[in-house]
Amino acid sequence: MTTAPAPTNWTELRTWLTRSTDDRVLTGVAGGLGARLGVGSGYVRAAFFGLALTWFGLILYPVLFFVSGGTAPSADLRRDELDQRQRLGLALMFAGAMVAFGSTNRWLGGLTIGAVTLIAFGIAAVWDRSLAGVAAGDQNQSRLRIIMGAVVIIAGMAVLLGSSDNLTGLGPVVLAVGITMAGLILVFGPWALRLAADLGEERRDRIRSEERAEMAAHLHDSVLQTFAMIQRTDDPKKMTTLARSQERELRSWLYGARGGEHGRMLSDALEDMADRVEQATDVPVEVVVVNDLPMGPRLDAVVAATGEATINAARHSGSMKVSVYAEVDAGVLEVFVTDQGVGFDPDEVPPDRHGLRQSVVDRMTRHAGTAEIISEPGEGTEIHLTMPLEAS
Amino acid sequence: MTPVRVFLVDDHALFLRGVRSELSDREAFDIVGSATDVDDAIASIRRLVPDIVLIDVHMPGGGGLSVIRNVVETHPDVRFLALSVSDAPDDVIAMIRAGARGYVTKTIGGDELAEALERTADGDAVFSPRLAGFVLDAFAGALPKPDDPELDQLTPREREVLRQIARGHTYKQVARRLSISVKTVETHVSAVLRKLQLSSRHELARWATDRRIV
Repeated sequence: MTTAPAPTNWTELRTWLTRSTDDRVLTGVAGGLGARLGVGSGYVRAAFFGLALTWFGLILYPVLFFVSGGTAPSADLRRDELDQRQRLGLALMFAGAMVAFGSTNRWLGGLTIGAVTLIAFGIAAVWDRSLAGVAAGDQNQSRLRIIMGAVVIIAGMAVLLGSSDNLTGLGPVVLAVGITMAGLILVFGPWALRLAADLGEERRDRIRSEERAEMAAHLHDSVLQTFAMIQRTDDPKKMTTLARSQERELRSWLYGARGGEHGRMLSDALEDMADRVEQATDVPVEVVVVNDLPMGPRLDAVVAATGEATINAARHSGSMKVSVYAEVDAGVLEVFVTDQGVGFDPDEVPPDRHGLRQSVVDRMTRHAGTAEIISEPGEGTEIHLTMPLEAS
Repeated sequence: MTPVRVFLVDDHALFLRGVRSELSDREAFDIVGSATDVDDAIASIRRLVPDIVLIDVHMPGGGGLSVIRNVVETHPDVRFLALSVSDAPDDVIAMIRAGARGYVTKTIGGDELAEALERTADGDAVFSPRLAGFVLDAFAGALPKPDDPELDQLTPREREVLRQIARGHTYKQVARRLSISVKTVETHVSAVLRKLQLSSRHELARWATDRRIV
């Protein structure tokens, strides 16, 4: 940060008077000016406010606005803070301007203007960075600044009260109470706000750590246990089954919460069914559901029939995996259970497939659905279930 | 036939080694390199210009998504096949829309992975049953409207092909069942992929919004 060169011509002046984009109340003139001068923008605002009480500030501000040649973030305009002597110089210049223009003012008495300006500077001092985290070494200085600001505010108010005959129409008691309240808010407001912000931060931290603890507990109960079991297993098929079942559980925990809104969905029921078949047979079952819908009595029958068909395929087809596909279209639920296994001739049902006929076909027809078995020796098997979904 | 030049990207070194040993036994593939982070992947792919990049979805530093986006800008001919443990719909759809030619999960077997890579190298799209299910879900209920000449509706035939794939059938089985050639199946699947990638679909957007993906 270097000292910005003082402007020597019109173009430089326009560049020098850049409005701030991030530190602005009206147009950013005060923010930009404060950054360029190396004083807090709050003091610049207080100065504008004081000058505005005389006629001069009301002209100066728009002039500066139109002269300023663009906008930029305050950080780009920032220069070193002024030392005490330079500050005193600026303050004296301002005081001189106030006296000069204040004395020509017919509207408010010079004393009132002075008091209100004093209060404005006190406010600027109290609020100046007192909200931002103060660096450790800086703490005494900032405390001193706040105390001095408070003293200035109180002094300004005392003067204002003393000259309150100018502010006609307000009872002196109401005025005193109002001004005292305003003073309290101004002095303690920043502190209270900071306290509230700290509390919010603390609460967020607590929620975060609670979530973390819950997640750790869940991972411990599920994933770590499964890992321990996998390490104790010698059978690769068993390992795969354990891993797949854990994967399914973790997935539903991570991406789940489907059940929350509509209750149990068809996809949940089919996933559970697939999990049971995998546990029983060590054959992976892949479930794909299109147009999920909430469970109902008819769907229970379909899920049960699908389960029978799936376990049959897993046990007898010799396929590496079984696919379950469910889709709702035009009010009809269709389920396909497909394997790439040995297949068979549906007209010559072998004895061990009698279960298929009874538990799948009969179950579906009892609930007004249909079941069709499509298979050829060597070409895998597909069982096609349909169930009309009546509008109930 | 010259081998397909494959580049691997995955932040898990162990998994990378597994895939490498699985593919290096096969004549059809030449593994030209691998990377374990996003920046290295982008730089190496631009330097080596492989035929196919087998890419993980979740990685530190922007993931596979940012690799695809960066490479596609400069090398549109490099094809991507996404490989991930995640089959969450938002991951799948995001990768496909970024330009991946297919999406398979890490539970895929070695033979299936090899077939998927070959298919991608030939310029076809690779749809796993689950991905086909997502796409059907996304376009569900969207019937062609005569006054809405959107390019990216699925045709009944494309829908039927996807449905067969979602049911777990291979392209060859799909072809036989629908009495069409494998080439035609591939054409349909590629058309669906193109529609997914090009469209700023409102069906897709609505579907994603319904599931609180976006």
